[in-house]
Amino acid sequence: MIVIGECIHIIAKRVREAVDNRDKGFIQGLAKLQVERGAHVLDLNLGPMKKAGPEVMSWVVDAVQEAVDVPLSLDTTNPAAIEAGLKLCQKKAIINSTDATEERLSALMPLAAKYNANIIALSLGKVGLPTTADARIELVAEKILPVAMEQGVPMDNIYLDPLVLTVNGNQDQAPETVNAVRFFKQMTDPPLMTICGLSNVSNSCPAEVRPILNRVYLIIMLGAGLDSAIVDPLDYELMEAVRIIDSRDDSTPKGELYLALYDAYGLSEEFDTSAVDMTDPELREIAKTIDVLQNKTLYAHGYLRL
Amino acid sequence: MAAVEMPVEKWTGKVHEVRLGGEGRKSIVVGGETTLPFLHFEGSIPNRIAVAVEVQDQEPSDWATSLVSAWGDVLRDPGAWAKKAAEFGADIIVLRLRSAHPEERNTGAAEAKAAVDKVLSAVDLPVIVLGPEVAEKDNEVLVAASEVARGSRVALGNCMEKNYRTIAATAIADGHVVIAKTPIEINLAKQLNILISDIGVPVDAILMDPTTGALGYGLEYSYSMMERLHLAALQGDAMTAMPMVCTVGEEAWRQKEARVAEGVPASWGDHEQRSLLWEEFTAISLINSGADIVVLRHPKAVEVVKATIDRLMSQV
Repeated sequence: MIVIGECIHIIAKRVREAVDNRDKGFIQGLAKLQVERGAHVLDLNLGPMKKAGPEVMSWVVDAVQEAVDVPLSLDTTNPAAIEAGLKLCQKKAIINSTDATEERLSALMPLAAKYNANIIALSLGKVGLPTTADARIELVAEKILPVAMEQGVPMDNIYLDPLVLTVNGNQDQAPETVNAVRFFKQMTDPPLMTICGLSNVSNSCPAEVRPILNRVYLIIMLGAGLDSAIVDPLDYELMEAVRIIDSRDDSTPKGELYLALYDAYGLSEEFDTSAVDMTDPELREIAKTIDVLQNKTLYAHGYLRL
Repeated sequence: MAAVEMPVEKWTGKVHEVRLGGEGRKSIVVGGETTLPFLHFEGSIPNRIAVAVEVQDQEPSDWATSLVSAWGDVLRDPGAWAKKAAEFGADIIVLRLRSAHPEERNTGAAEAKAAVDKVLSAVDLPVIVLGPEVAEKDNEVLVAASEVARGSRVALGNCMEKNYRTIAATAIADGHVVIAKTPIEINLAKQLNILISDIGVPVDAILMDPTTGALGYGLEYSYSMMERLHLAALQGDAMTAMPMVCTVGEEAWRQKEARVAEGVPASWGDHEQRSLLWEEFTAISLINSGADIVVLRHPKAVEVVKATIDRLMSQV
């Protein structure tokens, strides 16, 4: 799995301050730390950046590239800022992101072609997010891929993002988004790359359940064929889950369960939690989380409690 | 004619059974369903859907004339009102301590005790006591009500996300049932049940009020959410399996269609009939989505809804 580190994010107060004060040291420290913990790519999320977009993006890209030697994901809604970043990127960058609307596609696909960048394409149309996996496929096939071809963006450079929604209120979408990833991988031969912003799955959930929701959902998504995800590489348990899956380490009961879950989704099956050893508190929490993410038991903030 | 084979679902869960009353007082058990509403061929519906009648601790100043004339003088006295409600066929009396609302008379524990005592002495039916739905006042008057009603196993409402602790603790101490009320939102409904269970209220002492939307005012939201809660319960989720109580009368009579007689299109028809239909349709719809107790206001609605429940409960 390609791990894209999300920590350089303008919504984080300290990142915002560092960017505002041009505090290179802080940004570079955060970049180094994420790479040390296993990030392969760093996402630079600068938000809308309507005014000083190009200047800020240039400064951040330069600062990060001085500190680490990994590709960057340029994450802003301002195309001029993206282009300023692309000009400076030493490694093949990721444009994060376009959706399936004409406006965004026509602004960003030409940049992906011109700078030979990867581009994340959200299956999100003019009227919002389709509720079924099939409708997401349609958006990709009818809106996104034709523009990519027309603009000469190689198919290898497209990263499809089904857009993960929070399980708190959109619980039925959790399995549907997994289906979307599976269908994305089956659409073309060779298959297109897939990606997601993982932590959306636990948006508006309390801090004590967010990490376990994130990592169990990641395993399910990886089983369905997900290639990469924007995640918090400083979340030790999450990175441990990635390690277990990547190295197929079944030496612990947790590892066995993670791999069984991953393999079930690899076979396009759901995972039956009834055989999980519920006397082990760690396994019990994972099993309860699986049931919530499979939309088998209703989500509530306290779902782990009883 | 070829026999039609009915598809039968195998459910693993069931709605918890909750008992109200007892100890010298009539008792009633609600819940216990192992199937969707009235699918008698599929599972069992061991307890009849209950009709509760709302009584207030002060004469209502804002009730529609048809409601006022249906009840008459008893509206001034909760004991007499409860007695009349029993005569009209109430299975349960709901006493709303409305005078405790800060915008009403802001009455306190003593008045609450007196009102609860009056109702308990006037009838031998099971009782539900509702506060004014202002967290601080609810804590005050429901704790008082709980004390007075010790031994009568009443339901105390409402436990809401912000003030469930005091009421739940009181109910545990005095052996009562609590009503967990959440705004129409399924995840919050389950969460509050978890929180209340977590502090020690047994599952057979929790009712839930998922908030009623009246006909034309969110009924379809209530309907689908209650159905989802009920389905989750049948699938084995113990934290969604609390019997549901719906404050139908209060919501139906709040709406313009029920309240207003003048200045509405002639095509709306007879006001008296329309307002009754509003309450009856809201109640019958929610009974069909899994309500275990409907709280009504008009005696005629009680009659019609009870007759409908009779038919729905008969296994033909």
